[in-house]
Amino acid sequence: MNILIKNTTIVDKRSKDNNSNVDILIIDGIITEIKKNLNLDKHNSKIKVIDIENCHVSPGWFDFHVNFCDPGFENRDTIENGMNSSVKGGFTGVQIMPNTEPNIDNKSIIEYINNKSSGSIVDIFASANITKKANGEDLVEMYDILKSGCKSFTDDKKSISNSKVLNLSLEYAKDLNTLIIHHPSDKELINHGVVNEGALSTKLGLKGIPNISEFLTTYRDIEINNYSNGKIHLSYISTSESVKLIRKQKKSENNITCDVSIYNTFLDESKVDNFDTRYKLEPPLRTKKDIKEIIKGLNDSTIDIITSDHTPVDLENKKIEFDYADSGIIGLESFFGLLIKNLGEHVDLGTLIEKISVNPKQILKIDCPEIKVGEKANLTLFDPSIEWVFEETDIKSMSKNTPFVNETLKGKPLAIYNNSKFKIC
Amino acid sequence: MKDLSVDNLTTIKDLTKSDIDLIFNTADNFKNILNQPIKKVPSLRDITIANLFFENSTRTKLSFELAEKRLSADIINFSSSNSSVKKGETLLDTVQNILAMKVDMIVLRHSSPGASIFLSRNIDAKIINAGDGPHEHPTQALLDSFSIRQNFSDFKSLNVLIIGDIIHSRVALSNIFCLQKLGAKVAVCGPSTLMPKFLKSLNVEYFKDLKSALSWCDVANVLRIQLERQKLKYFPSLREYSSRFGVTKKVLDEIKNKVILMHPGPINRGVEISSDVADSKQSIILDQVENGVAIRMAVLYLLAKKIKK
Repeated sequence: MNILIKNTTIVDKRSKDNNSNVDILIIDGIITEIKKNLNLDKHNSKIKVIDIENCHVSPGWFDFHVNFCDPGFENRDTIENGMNSSVKGGFTGVQIMPNTEPNIDNKSIIEYINNKSSGSIVDIFASANITKKANGEDLVEMYDILKSGCKSFTDDKKSISNSKVLNLSLEYAKDLNTLIIHHPSDKELINHGVVNEGALSTKLGLKGIPNISEFLTTYRDIEINNYSNGKIHLSYISTSESVKLIRKQKKSENNITCDVSIYNTFLDESKVDNFDTRYKLEPPLRTKKDIKEIIKGLNDSTIDIITSDHTPVDLENKKIEFDYADSGIIGLESFFGLLIKNLGEHVDLGTLIEKISVNPKQILKIDCPEIKVGEKANLTLFDPSIEWVFEETDIKSMSKNTPFVNETLKGKPLAIYNNSKFKIC
Repeated sequence: MKDLSVDNLTTIKDLTKSDIDLIFNTADNFKNILNQPIKKVPSLRDITIANLFFENSTRTKLSFELAEKRLSADIINFSSSNSSVKKGETLLDTVQNILAMKVDMIVLRHSSPGASIFLSRNIDAKIINAGDGPHEHPTQALLDSFSIRQNFSDFKSLNVLIIGDIIHSRVALSNIFCLQKLGAKVAVCGPSTLMPKFLKSLNVEYFKDLKSALSWCDVANVLRIQLERQKLKYFPSLREYSSRFGVTKKVLDEIKNKVILMHPGPINRGVEISSDVADSKQSIILDQVENGVAIRMAVLYLLAKKIKK
């Protein structure tokens, strides 16, 4: 589809036109012109003109961690719905976590996902398990799996407790020039914990997850990665101590990156008071002190990526006793509105956009074209200041597990352009 | 007569001091009745109560059942051994099925913290929490404080010690909240492994040594000790626990002050408390059991008053 985007502000720190208000012409998926007051032949009906007030444009957004529950948990969500949720949230690309049944631990499941998503406006990449069935012991056939287009390996929230296995995976991945994504958490120290360990867990009689269960493993992962001479990406960082450890490591070596779930950037543990399962998350919501350090980490480039950690959970697994409820919130549709509302005053817009577009793609070594003439158009159009009410009808996921319905959000995706396709969000 | 400020009794945290006073004063009346030849009153004649015990219980269940019978309520009992829980039915479905048979009140014992709060958000019946995992056991705390009240004129300036497994104990947590609301000072004693990491947030003092703890207190509530929880041993052996924290005549003789002794039961004689101490005049363990019925009658009565028929 050919489009002309009128009066749009470019948000791409790499672009020479960053922050300038221009018109962008896209023909056959390629940016062909960027200039002010671009004049078109009015009779050229083959070009759709987009002229929206306060329109901003950035490289297409990419969510580093999403769950589409397909195959295996199609009662929670499907790849098709997941793609619709991505469009609604302004994402032109996502990375699926291997929490499927069967697990994504071989080429065939990735090919199944590729088939289901081929030709879509949303680029879908499936991350494969590091170990078979995420058992933490036996490495998957990384070489074979990489042939199917997979860009990374992770056991997602199942931390690999066997240090030797993590060491071997980093060594093996290094040969194949691919990425190991690891969530640092010590199962024994978590000891069936369900919320952050602190005054609240004590008061509620709920088992606490201590900060040390994360930062001790963060420290271990950093050192094993150094020993392996590998490259590791640590995911879902939630504690101030982990942020400090990663900051220190980044100063000495360029061999580590990390991400944070959006919920850990602005929600604290007080949300689970009164046993509200909607806020049961993994890692758990922590304290204001942790949030403060995370925001500092976002500003000083310690934290590279912000993810929605989109996790559909059916009502049957949320509307039950707190101990038994599944963790997670669906995140794609409300992501940007929450991001600007809660972080807009703490982190500048360009930096926030970088952490949801350029950084995740560069870390995965996925093509991330600049907004300039001659480049492929992979774009998200958005309004960073509009206030709007998030309603249930905005949810495209089959599962509705979000506490944000009826909440006023700030900032909204408007449309996406990718693979020569254009869609309104 | 006043009403409770709450519609359910799920946690002591929700109660005000005047709620607790109201429960105590009501329990005083019921206790008088229980000591008369005719122990039954018709107060809850049109009320149906379901006792739902998803966890083993002997004394709490008996105490509730007796309290309900003394108040002339109709009761049905349900326990996990014959429940449909194992067939995969959710707690909410189980309870809604029971409520469909026109039940007015639920007494719930469940292993999951917050289970009764979860139910209270989803059903209309009045709920009494009879123990929800390591969270709370409100009626136990009320009967413990009620029993203390019979021995002391005022809670202010009163020091109450809780000995044992604090981290896993709903009795400890509810007792701490209840006693603090009444104005007492609370301290705990036991191995560090059985103390919550964030104990300070509960505003209680910690004694690692039993003798100094007993010297500090007016009342000591001794909790039942179990060695194994989730395969993780929190201390090396019952023998070692007993030698460090077991309340014996010997240790009581070594301190100058007189301590009133309590235990929520069931007692492990010779482990957390020795037989001679448990059966001594200092012990009010059986008073607690007796008061349990009166307190539960009071709670049932006061909540039933709020049912809109």
